[in-house]
Amino acid sequence: MPFRYHLTDLANTVHFRLISLAFATLTAALAATGNEAIFEERLRPVLARNCSSCHGGSEPSGDMAVDRLADLLAGGKHGPAIDPGSSSTSLLVQYVRGERAPRMPLGGKISPDDLAELVGAVDSMQPARPGAGGVSAESQWPYTAPERTAPPRVQAGMWVRNPIDSYVLARLEAEGLEPAMPAGRRTLARRVHFDLTGLPPAPEDIDAFESDRRPGAYERFIERVLSRPEYGERWGRHWLDLARFAESDGFAIDRERPTAWRYRDYVIRAFNRDKPYDLFIKEQLAGDELPASDGGEDSDRLVSLGFLRMGPWEADSLSMQKLRQDFLNELTGVTGSAFLGLTVGCAQCHDHKYDPIPQRDFYRLQAFFSATRAERRPAPYADAENRREMKRVLRRYEDSLDEAEDSLDVVQARLIDRFVEISGVADEDDERLETFRKELNVKNEFFRKRTGPIFEEPLWREWLAAKDTRDRLAELHARHAPVATAVSDVVPPDVPRVAPTFVMAGGEFDAPGESVKPGFPAPLAGTAEPAEIPFRSGSSGRRIALAEWIASPDNPLTARVMVNRIWQHHFGAGLVRTASDFGRNGDRPSHPELLDWLALRFVESGWSVKRMHRLMLGSATYRQSTHHDRHADYAVRDPDNRLLWRMNWLRLDAESIRDSLLSLSGRLSPVRGGPSALLDVPADVAQGFEFFKWFASSPAEQRKRTVYTFQRRSVVQPFMETFDAANMSASCSRRNTTTVAPQALTLLNGDLVNDEAVHFARRVIGEAGEDRAAQVGRAFRLVLGRTPSADERDQAVRAFADAPAEQAVARLGVVLFNLNEFLYLQ
Amino acid sequence: MHPDLPRRDFLYRSLTGVGGIALMDLLVRDLSAARTDGRADPLASRPGHHEAPAKSCIFLSMLGGPSQMDTFDPKPALTRFDGTPMDWSGEDLTDQPSLFATARKIVGSPFEFRRHGESGIWISDLLPDLWPHADELAVVRSVQADNGNHPAAVFQMNTGFTLPGNPSVGSWVTFGLGTENRNLPAFCALPDFRSLPFSGSQQWGSGFLPATFQGTVLRWNGEAVRDLKAPDAVDPGMAAASRDLLRSYNRAFLDRHFTNPDLQARIDAYELAFRMQAEVPGVLSMDRESEATRRMYGLDDARARSFGTRCLIARKLVEHGVRFVQLYTPSQSWDGHVDIVWNHGKNSAETSRPVGALLADLKRRGLLESTLVVWMGEFGRTPDTVADRKTKGRDHNIGAMSMWFAGAGIKAGTVVGETNDLGYKAVQDVYHVRDVHATILHLMGLNDMRLTYRHAGRNRRLTDTGGRVIREILA
Repeated sequence: MPFRYHLTDLANTVHFRLISLAFATLTAALAATGNEAIFEERLRPVLARNCSSCHGGSEPSGDMAVDRLADLLAGGKHGPAIDPGSSSTSLLVQYVRGERAPRMPLGGKISPDDLAELVGAVDSMQPARPGAGGVSAESQWPYTAPERTAPPRVQAGMWVRNPIDSYVLARLEAEGLEPAMPAGRRTLARRVHFDLTGLPPAPEDIDAFESDRRPGAYERFIERVLSRPEYGERWGRHWLDLARFAESDGFAIDRERPTAWRYRDYVIRAFNRDKPYDLFIKEQLAGDELPASDGGEDSDRLVSLGFLRMGPWEADSLSMQKLRQDFLNELTGVTGSAFLGLTVGCAQCHDHKYDPIPQRDFYRLQAFFSATRAERRPAPYADAENRREMKRVLRRYEDSLDEAEDSLDVVQARLIDRFVEISGVADEDDERLETFRKELNVKNEFFRKRTGPIFEEPLWREWLAAKDTRDRLAELHARHAPVATAVSDVVPPDVPRVAPTFVMAGGEFDAPGESVKPGFPAPLAGTAEPAEIPFRSGSSGRRIALAEWIASPDNPLTARVMVNRIWQHHFGAGLVRTASDFGRNGDRPSHPELLDWLALRFVESGWSVKRMHRLMLGSATYRQSTHHDRHADYAVRDPDNRLLWRMNWLRLDAESIRDSLLSLSGRLSPVRGGPSALLDVPADVAQGFEFFKWFASSPAEQRKRTVYTFQRRSVVQPFMETFDAANMSASCSRRNTTTVAPQALTLLNGDLVNDEAVHFARRVIGEAGEDRAAQVGRAFRLVLGRTPSADERDQAVRAFADAPAEQAVARLGVVLFNLNEFLYLQ
Repeated sequence: MHPDLPRRDFLYRSLTGVGGIALMDLLVRDLSAARTDGRADPLASRPGHHEAPAKSCIFLSMLGGPSQMDTFDPKPALTRFDGTPMDWSGEDLTDQPSLFATARKIVGSPFEFRRHGESGIWISDLLPDLWPHADELAVVRSVQADNGNHPAAVFQMNTGFTLPGNPSVGSWVTFGLGTENRNLPAFCALPDFRSLPFSGSQQWGSGFLPATFQGTVLRWNGEAVRDLKAPDAVDPGMAAASRDLLRSYNRAFLDRHFTNPDLQARIDAYELAFRMQAEVPGVLSMDRESEATRRMYGLDDARARSFGTRCLIARKLVEHGVRFVQLYTPSQSWDGHVDIVWNHGKNSAETSRPVGALLADLKRRGLLESTLVVWMGEFGRTPDTVADRKTKGRDHNIGAMSMWFAGAGIKAGTVVGETNDLGYKAVQDVYHVRDVHATILHLMGLNDMRLTYRHAGRNRRLTDTGGRVIREILA
């Protein structure tokens, strides 16, 4: 069998790992029978003699069994016991040889003959590389191109509004299920409005939609909402979750990234302008390597690179080499998960048992970033960023910062004089003076020793105040600098060559192995050849090569992953529920043909996200009620509603709750974009950090939408955390929706709710007049989008009848903000 | 809230002190056991993977890294070679190369060591209040960490990983076991507000686990739980009327939309919040503690008051069925680079008495049999300092740290592991931080390999690919 021998030879070289999926498919069946045969004929006798007494039977020691080939491949807690085709990397062999402790078999020793047989048998096995073993059409998904199908025929064709419905209904009919009734217009108005903007619709807008009897009323309503700037604020936030957006480094020092907000504004603008998604990808990965854009606004193409800069950064890392490797690993991981829905992160350390991306491909992907370094790049403000205003404010802060520096100098000189005076320091070299100067540099009061009378002087407090003023202005000044939090490439002639990329054994930065060139993951690209890198002057051209490949219509994942994300936000769950994990370990699509149809339509529509919204929101599937007459029966057959026989309930997310409260009280700041507002946070959250102080913004600034509030990694906003906002440490594809008691406490007793309730009351009274029943009616219409029933109205009036109007309506407001009917979208 | 139970009556009883609370407690347990909506309560108490003695855990985090050679691991060689040059060539132990670029000298311990109890465990005079409890302890002298930088090491101590984004031990334990008392948070964090651990609340966060399992911060001065009380401006009668109206509206809404189990879950969450409002202040009140108890915990001593109060609260919490309580010293408090006498002395004054009192109090109340107490820092310290330093300092060291367990399931009076002559490197029975985690889980009835949560495409564990239970300390 020359073919077999050929394979065995290949198995001993790393290149085997790169054999394309197609080739692997051909050989997979052969491998399975071959390895099984080798196990039965050669391995089993050796194992029976040496291992089975402990590692066999119903309770194998250490949960590691050796009874079947599958047991060896599943392995124990340290991983698979054998690496077919490679005895030297097989744990079983390593233990038996005593290269790992404890030497096996415990208390005994394997005979040289058995050892030779064991090694020989393992080496003669055919490697089961990830993506190769047992490949079938099913497990090739989603690495082949989307398939074009015609929307299926259905019986209840009347229900179908667009092709989405054909696919959904076909599945329902196949299972003998019927879709739910359509939701009423009030429900739809609320659903669509929150879905697209994260805010409640004005009662008047609901009325207008409800009374619009001309055809196309619903479509016109969607269009109105889609054109609002609030749309980008909400959908941009979804992307910011994926981009692990934050405005500081994290870790101990958690240094601020003063102009990171420009990336946030870029994302929001991109959604509002319906920037084609392929261009959106290219700008974020390689904006600086794109040809000059025709429409000006070139700063955008540096600001967009912020995507590559949003990861954590251990500024006090013990080694620059490690810091660089961490940065590159993180970039590789987030690029894989955000754009391609691949969990490549595991491959950083080892070949993953189930995922198709082998370790070498992880580093080949990483090689696209090997020239990349973090850099703050000069980037003048664009018109869209309010250029003139930014300039003016920057100048103002320059001036006041100068003044503050001067005042601090004056107070500090006086303070030191005073210290000299009361401590009797005689000369400049006195150690005490040095110690005192050091004390002045301490940022956190806890770390200040504060020994000595000087700290009791009024002058000390004056100095503290002057220093705070200076520090605060310095922060504000930095946040307005015309700088992009971006990257650049380090290329010849500045360096002799682009930094090489090595496969790191076990993911350790100091264990470089084989050197690799940039290349696309072989299972996706169908080739293991290095990528072609176009020449770009001043840059390596590597990132644009990667971006072009990701943003290509031919990439089997990009469009599918994005339409699935859009679907997830509209329907509460994706067609693939693991939105950032399209790997073989992830979820299978509930409607694969629909997913492919949407992906193809997305690309054909010019990668327009708004068109996808129109399509999905316009479907009868989306317009279903959350209620179904046969719920009890259907819920048993399809408990997760994967077949979409009704609309899912959706809980408002943290931002929507906070923004709605501000909007309902009439106090939501109309200011959009710009440097973030720092919210008041409880002392135990904002204090106690060694390297910075938290200076809250003015109350008016704090009432901006939540997407515009400052995201410091170590200062977690309690309200946001309680309602499951994204943890900023890693890319987040889907938020948790927990139901915990602290949510109740926060919404009943917290400052935000109670403050806004008072303003809500004033607004309601202003709009409804003195009549209590009218106030209740107005309050219901604002918060819930409907009029109260007579019973509800009477209960509300009665509950607070003794209280003055403002208090009564404020309490009613608190109650309404806490209602399930408010927190859950039907 | 049971629909048949008149709510005025309920409120009345819940406000009538101990008896009322006990009654309510019974009622509540009964109700949660009787849930029939088919949706599992994520915090309902449930059995672990195996029978285990520990029902609760108190984790005492000694931030900054206490020195092993000044607490539990006496090294006469250090005294013998005190002041002589230290030679690190050939060692690759600590990952702080910068520290070793200059000349170094060995530092003898400035503290006295003596054997204590029948077991004869060595404890230095830094922790005199532990002497009477020597026979309750299981000291492990050979634990190693991965990263010698505080933030990463504190993350590892709490979450098993040196990077952010992972669930803390307390979150994993409550994820595995739920909690006994549904009127109190399952997992309570008691940091020192003068200086929070690095990354603040992420240290007791639930990472990728649902937020249900995150630690709730309890404060001991001011309001114990955030937003526990209605704002002062709100009249109590109005607050009660709001609650009633909320219940009524929510119930009517549920009647119309009974198919959505989340609605019931949220109504339950509100009822729990109301019960917490009633119970938490009582549990945390110091009024019911005798003067002697307060003194025992060091509440009369300005230095010990912070940690002492929190130790006392910890006891009250486990007494009330809280699953996991974690205390923190201030960030980097044990970080005695410059002067171990001053630094460790300060920490001794702040923590020795409270910790001794906690063990004594748990024991006399019979709680030590069902409570696991863990004392550890994020790493150990070096045997040496820079040559020109006048004071006795020690730097970070991941090669060895001493930590101890006490209480439920422990083979008390044990010492495990050895370090080399200079005490900087574990050489026998070497364990890792993840092994400590595996041991905590084991003692609480959980198997670290089986306690998994699927996240980002794989089954995640506290111990990643698995830890080794420290068998030598098991009873």
